[in-house]
Amino acid sequence: MSKSLKTLSDDLWKNRVEKVNSELFTLTYGSLVAQLCRDLNYNYAEVNAHLEKMGYNIGLRLVEEFFAQTNLGRCQTFRETAEVVAKVGFRMFLNVVPQVVGVDEKQFSLVLDENPLAEFVELPDDGKAFKELWYSNVLVGVLKGALEMVQLEVNAFFVSDVLRGDDTTELKVKLVQVLKDEIPVGED
Amino acid sequence: MSYYFAMIGTKDNPIYELEIGTYKQSGDGTPKFPTEMKELNPFIVHSALDIVEEVQWKNNQLYLKTIDSFYGYQVSAYVTPGNVKFMLLHDVKAEESIRQFFIEINDLYVKMLLSPFYNFNESIKSGSFDMRVRLLAKKYL
Amino acid sequence: MSSSRLLVSGVGYDPAVGPQSTGPQVQQLATSTSSLKRQFSASGGAHSSIFDKNLHRAKHDISLSSLCYLFGEIVSWCDSKSRGVQQLESRLNNLGYSIGIKYLELTSLRENFASGNISSSSKSHATKREVRILEILQFINSSVWKGLFGKMADKLEKSQDLANQYMITDNLPLISKYISVPKEFQHLNCAAFVAGIVEGILDSAYFQANVSAHSFPEPGLPLKTVFVINFDDKVIKRESMRFER
Repeated sequence: MSKSLKTLSDDLWKNRVEKVNSELFTLTYGSLVAQLCRDLNYNYAEVNAHLEKMGYNIGLRLVEEFFAQTNLGRCQTFRETAEVVAKVGFRMFLNVVPQVVGVDEKQFSLVLDENPLAEFVELPDDGKAFKELWYSNVLVGVLKGALEMVQLEVNAFFVSDVLRGDDTTELKVKLVQVLKDEIPVGED
Repeated sequence: MSYYFAMIGTKDNPIYELEIGTYKQSGDGTPKFPTEMKELNPFIVHSALDIVEEVQWKNNQLYLKTIDSFYGYQVSAYVTPGNVKFMLLHDVKAEESIRQFFIEINDLYVKMLLSPFYNFNESIKSGSFDMRVRLLAKKYL
Repeated sequence: MSSSRLLVSGVGYDPAVGPQSTGPQVQQLATSTSSLKRQFSASGGAHSSIFDKNLHRAKHDISLSSLCYLFGEIVSWCDSKSRGVQQLESRLNNLGYSIGIKYLELTSLRENFASGNISSSSKSHATKREVRILEILQFINSSVWKGLFGKMADKLEKSQDLANQYMITDNLPLISKYISVPKEFQHLNCAAFVAGIVEGILDSAYFQANVSAHSFPEPGLPLKTVFVINFDDKVIKRESMRFER
Protein backbone atom coordinates (compact mmCIF):
# COMPACT_ATOMS: atom_id res chain seq x y z
CA MET A 1 0.00 0.00 0.00
CA SER A 2 2.71 2.43 1.03
CA LYS A 3 4.80 1.56 -1.98
CA SER A 4 2.02 2.17 -4.42
CA LEU A 5 1.28 5.51 -2.80
CA LYS A 6 4.89 6.45 -3.17
CA THR A 7 4.91 5.43 -6.82
CA LEU A 8 1.74 7.36 -7.40
CA SER A 9 3.06 10.50 -5.81
CA ASP A 10 6.43 10.24 -7.56
CA ASP A 11 4.68 9.91 -10.86
CA LEU A 12 2.35 12.77 -10.08
CA TRP A 13 5.19 14.99 -9.07
CA LYS A 14 7.23 14.18 -12.13
CA ASN A 15 4.55 14.32 -14.75
CA ARG A 16 1.42 16.06 -13.69
CA VAL A 17 2.27 18.85 -11.30
CA GLU A 18 3.34 22.21 -12.60
CA LYS A 19 6.23 23.28 -10.45
CA VAL A 20 7.66 26.56 -9.26
CA ASN A 21 10.61 27.47 -7.11
CA SER A 22 9.53 27.43 -3.48
CA GLU A 23 11.30 30.65 -2.61
CA LEU A 24 8.61 32.94 -3.89
CA PHE A 25 6.14 30.86 -1.90
CA THR A 26 8.24 31.07 1.26
CA LEU A 27 8.80 34.79 0.92
CA THR A 28 5.15 35.45 0.10
CA TYR A 29 3.92 33.46 3.09
CA GLY A 30 6.44 35.26 5.28
CA SER A 31 5.29 38.62 4.03
CA LEU A 32 1.72 37.59 4.82
CA VAL A 33 2.45 36.45 8.37
CA ALA A 34 4.51 39.55 9.13
CA GLN A 35 1.76 41.81 7.80
CA LEU A 36 -0.90 39.94 9.76
CA CYS A 37 1.14 40.39 12.93
CA ARG A 38 1.37 44.11 12.31
CA ASP A 39 -2.31 44.47 11.39
CA LEU A 40 -3.44 42.48 14.42
CA ASN A 41 -1.07 44.26 16.79
CA TYR A 42 0.96 41.19 17.50
CA ASN A 43 -1.98 39.42 19.05
CA TYR A 44 -0.65 36.00 18.15
CA ALA A 45 -3.80 34.14 19.08
CA GLU A 46 -5.63 36.16 16.46
CA VAL A 47 -2.87 35.69 13.93
CA ASN A 48 -3.06 31.93 14.45
CA ALA A 49 -6.83 32.06 13.97
CA HIS A 50 -6.52 34.12 10.79
CA LEU A 51 -3.94 31.79 9.33
CA GLU A 52 -6.17 28.84 10.12
CA LYS A 53 -9.14 30.47 8.44
CA MET A 54 -7.15 31.19 5.30
CA GLY A 55 -5.88 27.64 5.30
CA TYR A 56 -9.41 26.35 5.66
CA ASN A 57 -10.52 28.19 2.52
CA ILE A 58 -7.52 26.83 0.68
CA GLY A 59 -8.23 23.30 1.90
CA LEU A 60 -11.78 23.39 0.56
CA ARG A 61 -10.56 24.20 -2.93
CA LEU A 62 -7.39 22.16 -3.00
CA VAL A 63 -9.25 18.89 -2.52
CA GLU A 64 -10.84 19.19 -5.95
CA GLU A 65 -7.47 19.37 -7.60
CA PHE A 66 -6.27 16.50 -5.45
CA PHE A 67 -8.99 14.16 -6.61
CA ALA A 68 -8.76 15.31 -10.19
CA GLN A 69 -5.06 14.52 -10.30
CA THR A 70 -4.93 11.35 -8.26
CA ASN A 71 -8.10 9.41 -9.00
CA LEU A 72 -7.82 7.82 -5.60
CA GLY A 73 -10.87 6.19 -4.13
CA ARG A 74 -12.27 6.54 -0.66
CA CYS A 75 -9.99 5.78 2.23
CA GLN A 76 -11.32 2.87 4.23
CA THR A 77 -9.66 3.72 7.50
CA PHE A 78 -8.35 6.79 9.24
CA ARG A 79 -4.90 5.24 9.03
CA GLU A 80 -5.21 5.19 5.28
CA THR A 81 -6.23 8.81 5.35
CA ALA A 82 -3.08 9.64 7.28
CA GLU A 83 -0.93 7.84 4.74
CA VAL A 84 -2.59 9.46 1.78
CA VAL A 85 -2.38 12.93 3.30
CA ALA A 86 1.30 12.56 4.05
CA LYS A 87 2.56 10.62 1.05
CA VAL A 88 0.37 12.04 -1.67
CA GLY A 89 -1.19 15.26 -0.44
CA PHE A 90 1.87 16.89 1.06
CA ARG A 91 4.05 15.55 -1.72
CA MET A 92 1.83 16.88 -4.43
CA PHE A 93 1.49 20.38 -3.06
CA LEU A 94 4.56 21.03 -1.00
CA ASN A 95 6.97 18.40 -2.29
CA VAL A 96 7.69 17.17 1.22
CA VAL A 97 6.66 13.91 2.82
CA PRO A 98 6.08 14.23 6.57
CA GLN A 99 6.47 11.19 8.74
CA VAL A 100 3.26 9.69 10.05
CA VAL A 101 3.50 8.82 13.71
CA GLY A 102 1.17 7.95 16.52
CA VAL A 103 -1.50 6.53 14.22
CA ASP A 104 -4.69 4.92 15.36
CA GLU A 105 -8.28 5.06 14.27
CA LYS A 106 -8.86 8.38 15.96
CA GLN A 107 -5.71 10.38 15.37
CA PHE A 108 -2.34 10.71 13.77
CA SER A 109 0.58 13.07 13.86
CA LEU A 110 2.61 14.46 11.01
CA VAL A 111 6.24 15.25 11.68
CA LEU A 112 7.69 17.64 9.15
CA ASP A 113 11.43 17.34 8.64
CA GLU A 114 11.27 20.05 6.06
CA ASN A 115 8.83 22.92 6.03
CA PRO A 116 8.89 25.11 2.93
CA LEU A 117 6.73 27.68 4.67
CA ALA A 118 9.32 28.38 7.33
CA GLU A 119 12.65 28.53 5.53
CA PHE A 120 14.98 31.16 6.99
CA VAL A 121 12.40 32.33 9.48
CA GLU A 122 13.40 33.59 12.89
CA LEU A 123 10.55 34.42 15.22
CA PRO A 124 10.58 37.91 16.74
CA ASP A 125 12.33 38.21 20.05
CA ASP A 126 9.45 39.82 21.91
CA GLY A 127 9.07 37.12 24.53
CA LYS A 128 5.61 36.22 23.26
CA ALA A 129 6.10 34.79 19.78
CA PHE A 130 7.97 31.75 20.97
CA LYS A 131 5.12 30.76 23.21
CA GLU A 132 2.10 31.92 21.25
CA LEU A 133 2.65 32.02 17.50
CA TRP A 134 2.24 28.93 15.35
CA TYR A 135 3.95 30.26 12.25
CA SER A 136 2.73 27.55 9.88
CA ASN A 137 -0.81 27.51 11.20
CA VAL A 138 -2.19 27.79 7.67
CA LEU A 139 -1.48 24.05 7.38
CA VAL A 140 -3.87 23.37 10.24
CA GLY A 141 -6.64 25.08 8.30
CA VAL A 142 -5.79 23.33 5.06
CA LEU A 143 -6.08 19.93 6.72
CA LYS A 144 -9.35 20.79 8.38
CA GLY A 145 -10.87 22.15 5.19
CA ALA A 146 -9.64 19.39 2.97
CA LEU A 147 -10.71 16.59 5.29
CA GLU A 148 -14.10 18.17 5.79
CA MET A 149 -14.65 17.85 2.06
CA VAL A 150 -14.24 14.11 2.44
CA GLN A 151 -16.72 13.95 5.26
CA LEU A 152 -14.19 13.88 8.08
CA GLU A 153 -14.49 16.49 10.77
CA VAL A 154 -11.15 16.82 12.47
CA ASN A 155 -9.32 18.91 14.98
CA ALA A 156 -5.84 19.79 13.87
CA PHE A 157 -3.19 21.68 15.79
CA PHE A 158 0.52 22.08 16.13
CA VAL A 159 2.16 20.32 19.00
CA SER A 160 5.68 21.57 18.44
CA ASP A 161 7.62 23.71 15.99
CA VAL A 162 11.37 23.98 15.38
CA LEU A 163 10.90 27.73 15.02
CA ARG A 164 10.03 27.78 18.69
CA GLY A 165 13.15 25.90 19.62
CA ASP A 166 11.50 22.48 19.74
CA ASP A 167 13.21 19.43 18.31
CA THR A 168 10.58 18.73 15.71
CA THR A 169 7.65 20.27 13.93
CA GLU A 170 4.63 18.14 14.71
CA LEU A 171 1.04 18.55 13.62
CA LYS A 172 -1.60 16.47 15.32
CA VAL A 173 -4.87 15.52 13.66
CA LYS A 174 -7.75 14.15 15.73
CA LEU A 175 -10.93 12.76 14.30
CA VAL A 176 -14.03 14.36 15.77
CA GLN A 177 -16.65 12.61 13.73
CA VAL A 178 -17.44 11.18 10.36
CA LEU A 179 -19.94 13.50 8.74
CA LYS A 180 -23.12 12.20 7.25
CA ASP A 181 -22.76 11.17 3.64
CA GLU A 182 -24.62 13.74 1.66
CA ILE A 183 -23.00 13.27 -1.70
CA PRO A 184 -20.37 10.60 -2.01
CA VAL A 185 -17.09 12.21 -2.97
CA GLY A 186 -15.85 11.33 -6.40
CA GLU A 187 -19.18 10.18 -7.70
CA ASP A 188 -21.73 12.34 -9.40
CA MET B 1 44.98 45.85 16.83
CA SER B 2 41.49 47.11 17.33
CA TYR B 3 38.50 47.24 15.09
CA TYR B 4 35.28 49.17 14.95
CA PHE B 5 32.77 47.52 12.67
CA ALA B 6 29.50 49.11 11.61
CA MET B 7 26.73 48.12 9.24
CA ILE B 8 24.98 51.18 7.88
CA GLY B 9 21.53 51.17 6.30
CA THR B 10 20.28 53.25 3.43
CA LYS B 11 19.30 56.14 5.66
CA ASP B 12 22.81 56.48 7.04
CA ASN B 13 21.55 54.70 10.13
CA PRO B 14 23.77 52.15 11.87
CA ILE B 15 21.98 48.82 12.00
CA TYR B 16 24.77 47.06 13.80
CA GLU B 17 27.95 48.11 15.56
CA LEU B 18 30.77 46.23 17.17
CA GLU B 19 34.07 47.10 18.76
CA ILE B 20 36.46 44.26 18.97
CA GLY B 21 40.14 43.60 19.39
CA THR B 22 42.19 40.98 17.68
CA TYR B 23 42.63 37.45 18.95
CA LYS B 24 45.80 36.98 16.97
CA GLN B 25 49.18 37.15 18.67
CA SER B 26 47.59 36.14 21.96
CA GLY B 27 45.21 39.04 21.96
CA ASP B 28 42.11 38.45 24.05
CA GLY B 29 39.62 40.22 21.85
CA THR B 30 39.41 43.38 23.91
CA PRO B 31 39.58 46.47 21.77
CA LYS B 32 42.19 48.98 22.79
CA PHE B 33 40.93 52.22 21.41
CA PRO B 34 42.06 55.27 23.34
CA THR B 35 39.05 57.04 24.87
CA GLU B 36 39.15 59.92 22.39
CA MET B 37 39.08 57.49 19.51
CA LYS B 38 36.21 55.54 20.99
CA GLU B 39 34.02 58.60 20.86
CA LEU B 40 35.16 59.54 17.40
CA ASN B 41 34.81 56.14 15.75
CA PRO B 42 31.17 56.51 14.68
CA PHE B 43 31.86 60.00 13.34
CA ILE B 44 34.87 58.90 11.33
CA VAL B 45 32.87 56.13 9.80
CA HIS B 46 29.97 58.44 9.16
CA SER B 47 32.02 60.95 7.26
CA ALA B 48 33.58 58.15 5.27
CA LEU B 49 30.09 57.35 4.03
CA ASP B 50 30.20 60.33 1.70
CA ILE B 51 33.25 58.89 0.05
CA VAL B 52 31.56 55.53 -0.25
CA GLU B 53 28.63 57.07 -2.04
CA GLU B 54 30.97 58.68 -4.54
CA VAL B 55 33.10 55.63 -5.12
CA GLN B 56 30.25 53.15 -5.41
CA TRP B 57 29.09 54.54 -8.73
CA LYS B 58 32.55 54.41 -10.26
CA ASN B 59 33.36 50.95 -9.01
CA ASN B 60 30.92 48.06 -9.39
CA GLN B 61 32.76 45.81 -6.94
CA LEU B 62 31.22 44.99 -3.61
CA TYR B 63 34.49 45.34 -1.73
CA LEU B 64 35.75 48.88 -2.06
CA LYS B 65 38.88 48.33 0.02
CA THR B 66 40.32 51.22 1.97
CA ILE B 67 38.54 54.41 1.12
CA ASP B 68 39.59 56.80 3.84
CA SER B 69 42.13 57.24 6.61
CA PHE B 70 42.33 59.18 9.82
CA TYR B 71 45.47 59.56 11.89
CA GLY B 72 46.79 56.08 11.24
CA TYR B 73 43.41 54.42 11.23
CA GLN B 74 41.95 53.24 7.98
CA VAL B 75 38.38 52.85 6.90
CA SER B 76 37.53 49.95 4.62
CA ALA B 77 34.16 49.58 3.02
CA TYR B 78 31.94 46.98 1.34
CA VAL B 79 28.60 47.80 -0.26
CA THR B 80 25.94 45.15 -0.81
CA PRO B 81 23.74 45.20 -3.91
CA GLY B 82 20.96 46.53 -1.70
CA ASN B 83 23.18 49.38 -0.57
CA VAL B 84 23.85 48.35 2.98
CA LYS B 85 27.36 49.45 3.84
CA PHE B 86 29.77 47.46 5.93
CA MET B 87 32.42 49.77 7.34
CA LEU B 88 35.49 48.73 9.24
CA LEU B 89 37.79 51.10 11.08
CA HIS B 90 41.14 49.44 11.58
CA ASP B 91 44.71 50.26 12.35
CA VAL B 92 46.46 47.50 10.43
CA LYS B 93 46.49 46.82 6.77
CA ALA B 94 44.90 43.42 6.01
CA GLU B 95 43.06 43.73 2.74
CA GLU B 96 42.49 40.07 2.00
CA SER B 97 41.29 38.96 5.41
CA ILE B 98 39.04 41.99 5.68
CA ARG B 99 37.57 41.06 2.33
CA GLN B 100 36.86 37.52 3.54
CA PHE B 101 35.34 38.93 6.70
CA PHE B 102 33.01 41.18 4.73
CA ILE B 103 31.95 38.36 2.42
CA GLU B 104 30.95 36.20 5.36
CA ILE B 105 29.12 39.10 6.97
CA ASN B 106 27.24 39.53 3.71
CA ASP B 107 26.12 35.91 3.90
CA LEU B 108 25.05 36.38 7.52
CA TYR B 109 23.22 39.58 6.68
CA VAL B 110 21.23 38.01 3.85
CA LYS B 111 20.11 35.21 6.13
CA MET B 112 18.95 37.78 8.67
CA LEU B 113 17.23 39.79 5.97
CA LEU B 114 15.29 36.78 4.69
CA SER B 115 13.39 36.40 7.93
CA PRO B 116 9.95 37.93 7.46
CA PHE B 117 10.10 39.50 10.88
CA TYR B 118 13.21 41.49 10.12
CA ASN B 119 12.45 44.73 8.33
CA PHE B 120 14.96 46.37 6.09
CA ASN B 121 16.99 49.16 7.77
CA GLU B 122 16.06 47.90 11.21
CA SER B 123 18.75 47.49 13.88
CA ILE B 124 19.90 43.93 14.16
CA LYS B 125 19.51 43.12 17.81
CA SER B 126 19.59 39.36 17.53
CA GLY B 127 21.94 37.75 20.01
CA SER B 128 22.86 34.92 17.70
CA PHE B 129 23.74 37.35 14.93
CA ASP B 130 26.00 39.22 17.30
CA MET B 131 27.64 35.98 18.38
CA ARG B 132 28.27 34.96 14.79
CA VAL B 133 29.81 38.30 13.92
CA ARG B 134 32.14 38.04 16.88
CA LEU B 135 33.16 34.56 15.79
CA LEU B 136 33.88 35.85 12.31
CA ALA B 137 35.90 38.70 13.72
CA LYS B 138 37.86 36.22 15.74
CA LYS B 139 38.49 34.17 12.64
CA TYR B 140 39.54 36.88 10.24
CA LEU B 141 40.60 39.99 12.08
CA MET C 1 17.41 23.35 26.28
CA SER C 2 16.64 26.85 27.49
CA SER C 3 19.99 27.33 29.20
CA SER C 4 21.86 26.41 26.05
CA ARG C 5 19.67 28.78 24.11
CA LEU C 6 20.74 31.58 26.42
CA LEU C 7 24.34 30.80 25.57
CA VAL C 8 23.62 30.86 21.87
CA SER C 9 21.74 34.12 22.20
CA GLY C 10 24.58 36.14 23.63
CA VAL C 11 23.98 39.75 24.33
CA GLY C 12 23.08 41.25 20.98
CA TYR C 13 23.51 44.78 19.64
CA ASP C 14 21.51 47.49 21.37
CA PRO C 15 21.27 50.63 19.23
CA ALA C 16 20.51 52.79 22.27
CA VAL C 17 23.79 51.84 23.85
CA GLY C 18 26.01 51.62 20.79
CA PRO C 19 28.89 49.29 20.05
CA GLN C 20 29.68 46.75 22.70
CA SER C 21 33.24 45.88 23.44
CA THR C 22 33.90 42.22 24.05
CA GLY C 23 33.42 42.22 27.82
CA PRO C 24 31.71 39.16 29.29
CA GLN C 25 31.75 37.27 26.01
CA VAL C 26 35.56 36.99 26.17
CA GLN C 27 35.52 33.77 28.13
CA GLN C 28 33.01 32.12 25.87
CA LEU C 29 34.84 33.12 22.71
CA ALA C 30 38.17 32.07 24.14
CA THR C 31 37.02 28.45 23.96
CA SER C 32 37.56 26.84 20.60
CA THR C 33 35.14 27.51 17.82
CA SER C 34 34.41 23.83 17.45
CA SER C 35 33.15 23.42 20.98
CA LEU C 36 30.88 26.39 20.46
CA LYS C 37 29.63 24.81 17.28
CA ARG C 38 28.79 21.72 19.25
CA GLN C 39 26.82 23.82 21.66
CA PHE C 40 25.01 25.54 18.83
CA SER C 41 23.86 22.30 17.32
CA ALA C 42 23.05 20.72 20.67
CA SER C 43 20.58 23.44 21.45
CA GLY C 44 18.84 22.67 18.18
CA GLY C 45 16.96 25.85 18.72
CA ALA C 46 15.61 28.39 16.34
CA HIS C 47 18.26 30.91 17.19
CA SER C 48 21.05 28.87 15.66
CA SER C 49 19.28 27.30 12.74
CA ILE C 50 18.78 30.08 10.22
CA PHE C 51 22.43 31.08 10.26
CA ASP C 52 23.49 27.48 9.87
CA LYS C 53 21.50 26.97 6.73
CA ASN C 54 23.18 27.19 3.40
CA LEU C 55 21.92 29.81 0.97
CA HIS C 56 23.43 28.08 -2.01
CA ARG C 57 21.97 24.61 -1.70
CA ALA C 58 19.85 22.92 -4.33
CA LYS C 59 16.56 24.59 -4.99
CA HIS C 60 13.34 23.14 -3.68
CA ASP C 61 10.26 23.12 -5.90
CA ILE C 62 6.65 23.16 -4.88
CA SER C 63 3.50 22.97 -6.95
CA LEU C 64 2.44 26.14 -8.71
CA SER C 65 -1.08 25.63 -7.48
CA SER C 66 0.04 25.93 -3.85
CA LEU C 67 1.45 29.34 -4.62
CA CYS C 68 -1.73 30.30 -6.42
CA TYR C 69 -4.03 29.14 -3.63
CA LEU C 70 -1.97 31.08 -1.12
CA PHE C 71 -1.97 34.12 -3.32
CA GLY C 72 -5.71 33.89 -3.85
CA GLU C 73 -6.25 34.01 -0.11
CA ILE C 74 -3.89 36.94 0.22
CA VAL C 75 -5.80 38.86 -2.40
CA SER C 76 -9.11 38.14 -0.67
CA TRP C 77 -7.70 39.28 2.64
CA CYS C 78 -6.20 42.46 1.17
CA ASP C 79 -9.49 43.09 -0.58
CA SER C 80 -11.37 42.82 2.70
CA LYS C 81 -9.18 45.53 4.16
CA SER C 82 -9.31 47.86 1.20
CA ARG C 83 -11.86 50.22 -0.18
CA GLY C 84 -11.59 49.95 -3.89
CA VAL C 85 -9.13 48.59 -6.40
CA GLN C 86 -6.52 51.31 -5.84
CA GLN C 87 -6.09 50.47 -2.17
CA LEU C 88 -6.06 46.78 -2.94
CA GLU C 89 -3.31 47.19 -5.50
CA SER C 90 -1.40 49.40 -3.13
CA ARG C 91 -1.55 46.72 -0.41
CA LEU C 92 -0.39 44.05 -2.81
CA ASN C 93 2.37 46.34 -4.00
CA ASN C 94 3.54 46.78 -0.40
CA LEU C 95 3.62 43.05 0.21
CA GLY C 96 5.71 42.60 -2.91
CA TYR C 97 7.98 45.51 -2.06
CA SER C 98 9.51 43.95 1.04
CA ILE C 99 10.03 40.73 -0.88
CA GLY C 100 11.85 42.65 -3.61
CA ILE C 101 14.34 44.10 -1.15
CA LYS C 102 15.18 40.68 0.22
CA TYR C 103 15.23 38.98 -3.14
CA LEU C 104 17.70 41.45 -4.61
CA GLU C 105 20.26 40.68 -1.91
CA LEU C 106 19.65 36.94 -2.10
CA THR C 107 19.88 36.65 -5.87
CA SER C 108 22.94 38.89 -6.10
CA LEU C 109 24.69 36.92 -3.39
CA ARG C 110 24.06 33.68 -5.19
CA GLU C 111 25.18 35.02 -8.55
CA ASN C 112 28.31 36.55 -7.20
CA PHE C 113 29.41 33.58 -5.18
CA ALA C 114 28.03 30.79 -7.36
CA SER C 115 31.48 29.72 -8.31
CA GLY C 116 32.29 28.91 -4.70
CA ASN C 117 34.95 31.40 -3.78
CA ILE C 118 34.93 34.94 -4.84
CA SER C 119 37.89 35.15 -7.14
CA SER C 120 39.91 38.25 -7.62
CA SER C 121 37.87 40.84 -9.41
CA SER C 122 39.70 40.65 -12.71
CA LYS C 123 39.06 36.96 -13.16
CA SER C 124 35.42 36.79 -12.23
CA HIS C 125 33.09 38.08 -14.88
CA ALA C 126 30.05 38.11 -12.67
CA THR C 127 29.15 41.70 -12.01
CA LYS C 128 29.00 42.50 -8.38
CA ARG C 129 26.66 45.39 -8.11
CA GLU C 130 24.60 47.01 -10.81
CA VAL C 131 25.46 50.65 -11.36
CA ARG C 132 23.71 51.35 -14.65
CA ILE C 133 20.01 51.43 -15.46
CA LEU C 134 20.24 48.94 -18.28
CA GLU C 135 22.25 46.55 -16.11
CA ILE C 136 19.76 46.50 -13.27
CA LEU C 137 16.87 46.08 -15.71
CA GLN C 138 18.58 43.17 -17.41
CA PHE C 139 19.28 41.68 -14.03
CA ILE C 140 15.56 41.86 -13.25
CA ASN C 141 14.57 40.61 -16.69
CA SER C 142 16.75 37.54 -16.46
CA SER C 143 18.04 36.58 -13.01
CA VAL C 144 15.11 37.76 -10.97
CA TRP C 145 12.39 36.53 -13.29
CA LYS C 146 14.14 33.23 -13.67
CA GLY C 147 14.62 32.81 -9.95
CA LEU C 148 11.03 33.65 -9.12
CA PHE C 149 9.14 32.19 -12.07
CA GLY C 150 11.53 29.77 -13.73
CA LYS C 151 11.67 31.74 -16.95
CA MET C 152 12.99 35.03 -18.24
CA ALA C 153 10.67 37.96 -18.86
CA ASP C 154 9.68 38.27 -22.47
CA LYS C 155 10.67 41.79 -23.40
CA LEU C 156 12.59 44.77 -22.08
CA GLU C 157 12.04 48.07 -23.83
CA LYS C 158 12.76 51.72 -23.42
CA SER C 159 9.90 54.10 -24.02
CA GLN C 160 10.09 56.21 -27.15
CA ASP C 161 8.25 59.09 -25.56
CA LEU C 162 9.57 59.42 -22.02
CA ALA C 163 13.26 59.47 -21.14
CA ASN C 164 12.73 57.92 -17.75
CA GLN C 165 10.34 55.14 -18.76
CA TYR C 166 11.07 51.50 -19.46
CA MET C 167 8.82 48.48 -19.88
CA ILE C 168 9.18 44.82 -18.97
CA THR C 169 6.69 42.49 -20.59
CA ASP C 170 5.58 39.11 -19.36
CA ASN C 171 3.34 37.27 -21.79
CA LEU C 172 2.13 34.75 -19.26
CA PRO C 173 2.61 35.80 -15.64
CA LEU C 174 2.82 32.60 -13.68
CA ILE C 175 0.62 33.47 -10.75
CA SER C 176 -2.14 34.83 -12.97
CA LYS C 177 -2.65 31.44 -14.54
CA TYR C 178 -4.70 29.86 -11.82
CA ILE C 179 -5.82 32.65 -9.64
CA SER C 180 -9.42 32.48 -8.56
CA VAL C 181 -10.53 35.99 -7.73
CA PRO C 182 -13.16 38.11 -9.52
CA LYS C 183 -12.36 37.88 -13.19
CA GLU C 184 -12.19 41.60 -13.90
CA PHE C 185 -9.38 42.11 -11.44
CA GLN C 186 -7.41 38.95 -11.61
CA HIS C 187 -4.52 39.93 -13.82
CA LEU C 188 -4.06 43.31 -12.27
CA ASN C 189 -3.97 41.94 -8.75
CA CYS C 190 -1.22 39.44 -9.30
CA ALA C 191 0.67 41.92 -11.37
CA ALA C 192 0.46 44.62 -8.70
CA PHE C 193 2.22 42.22 -6.38
CA VAL C 194 4.98 41.54 -8.90
CA ALA C 195 5.24 45.26 -9.65
CA GLY C 196 5.86 45.72 -5.93
CA ILE C 197 8.68 43.19 -6.04
CA VAL C 198 10.29 45.03 -8.95
CA GLU C 199 9.87 48.36 -7.21
CA GLY C 200 11.46 46.99 -4.04
CA ILE C 201 14.44 45.77 -6.01
CA LEU C 202 14.91 49.04 -7.86
CA ASP C 203 14.50 51.25 -4.81
CA SER C 204 16.92 49.27 -2.70
CA ALA C 205 19.52 49.26 -5.47
CA TYR C 206 19.25 53.06 -5.49
CA PHE C 207 17.40 53.16 -8.82
CA GLN C 208 14.32 54.72 -7.31
CA ALA C 209 11.28 54.21 -9.49
CA ASN C 210 7.56 53.77 -9.63
CA VAL C 211 6.44 50.50 -11.08
CA SER C 212 2.92 49.76 -12.21
CA ALA C 213 1.38 46.82 -14.01
CA HIS C 214 -0.92 47.00 -16.99
CA SER C 215 -2.88 44.36 -18.80
CA PHE C 216 -2.39 44.28 -22.57
CA PRO C 217 -4.22 41.18 -23.76
CA GLU C 218 -3.81 40.24 -27.35
CA PRO C 219 -4.94 37.26 -29.43
CA GLY C 220 -3.10 34.23 -28.15
CA LEU C 221 -1.76 36.11 -25.14
CA PRO C 222 -4.78 36.92 -23.02
CA LEU C 223 -2.74 37.44 -19.86
CA LYS C 224 0.02 39.57 -21.31
CA THR C 225 1.16 42.10 -18.73
CA VAL C 226 3.46 45.07 -19.10
CA PHE C 227 5.30 46.47 -16.09
CA VAL C 228 5.90 50.15 -16.61
CA ILE C 229 8.91 51.54 -14.79
CA ASN C 230 9.24 55.26 -14.27
CA PHE C 231 12.59 56.21 -12.84
CA ASP C 232 12.99 59.23 -10.59
CA ASP C 233 14.62 62.23 -12.24
CA LYS C 234 17.66 62.05 -10.01
CA VAL C 235 18.39 58.54 -11.22
CA ILE C 236 18.31 59.65 -14.83
CA LYS C 237 20.49 62.65 -13.99
CA ARG C 238 23.03 60.49 -12.21
CA GLU C 239 23.15 58.08 -15.13
CA SER C 240 23.72 60.80 -17.68
CA MET C 241 26.33 62.56 -15.55
CA ARG C 242 28.33 59.46 -14.95
CA PHE C 243 27.93 57.41 -18.05
CA GLU C 244 27.17 59.56 -20.99
CA ARG C 245 29.89 61.38 -22.79
